Amino acid sequence: MKKILTTLGLVVILAGCSLFSSKAEAVTNINGAVESRCTVETDTPGTYGNPNAYTLTTLPASSGQEPIVRFDVSLANAYFAQISYPTSFSSSPSLSDSVTWTGAVTVVQTSTSDMSGYQAASTTPTASMRQYALTIAGTTWFKSTSVATYGGGQNKAFPGGSYSAVVVAECIAQ
Amino acid sequence: MYRSIILSILLCSNAIAHEMTPTYPKWEVSYIEGIKITTMKMVNKREDVEWYEIGVFDEEWKPIPFVTKHKIFNIKYLGHAKFDVYISARDSKRAEYICSLSKLKGNNMNKPMMSSRICSRFK
Repeated sequence: MKKILTTLGLVVILAGCSLFSSKAEAVTNINGAVESRCTVETDTPGTYGNPNAYTLTTLPASSGQEPIVRFDVSLANAYFAQISYPTSFSSSPSLSDSVTWTGAVTVVQTSTSDMSGYQAASTTPTASMRQYALTIAGTTWFKSTSVATYGGGQNKAFPGGSYSAVVVAECIAQ
Repeated sequence: MYRSIILSILLCSNAIAHEMTPTYPKWEVSYIEGIKITTMKMVNKREDVEWYEIGVFDEEWKPIPFVTKHKIFNIKYLGHAKFDVYISARDSKRAEYICSLSKLKGNNMNKPMMSSRICSRFK
């Protein structure tokens, strides 16, 4: 009886080993890495409203639409975001007088509350551009507001036609 | 009375994104003596842009001479591109940034515009 039990135990052990080895062969490694990456994307298109003859503005109160740019970074402290507001038209009717530009770049939304200090910590490399150190991985939405006034301070009417301007959105590795 | 002047700033509302990697490229020895090479990858998710320009800059953003197959090249919407950039070994020491800049279509009044630039850094 003892011999039978011993033999049976040995069989069970061998079967277990066999089962274990077949499971080990089925294991497959899945390798991956988080690659540092920055993506710049237009979230909302911008439009200028024309509240009076001499003003073009993206302010919603004047029927404009402020463009929103989205930045996605996969790693913290890898990139700066730089966003500008326009200071010239890229295309327009012939303008005999000068245009005065004002504007601002602001943080609209962030994917985590940790990013709430971005606006306060931003810098101005040029008067029309703001730079933000993206110190936290995630998504940030920035708004570029701009107002163009025609007539060199004398409020002259803009010539009729189509106008186009460019917002610059940059992601620069730190 | 007001003229119907509408200025669009950004292109259509579809997902339009621009991406370039690696963030921190390195210069490698090329098969040409005295010339170094690095390889970059780009993804174009901007439906409004098909052309991108490559530039290499020093710490003060002054352009540095380099060679690549096309300095301005075409990537279709949702397309990927891999390109080699060659530089002299001497210039490689002062190269700080390599950037890709979206090229916008001129005189396209109906399309608002956003210029995007991604810069990787040599460390």
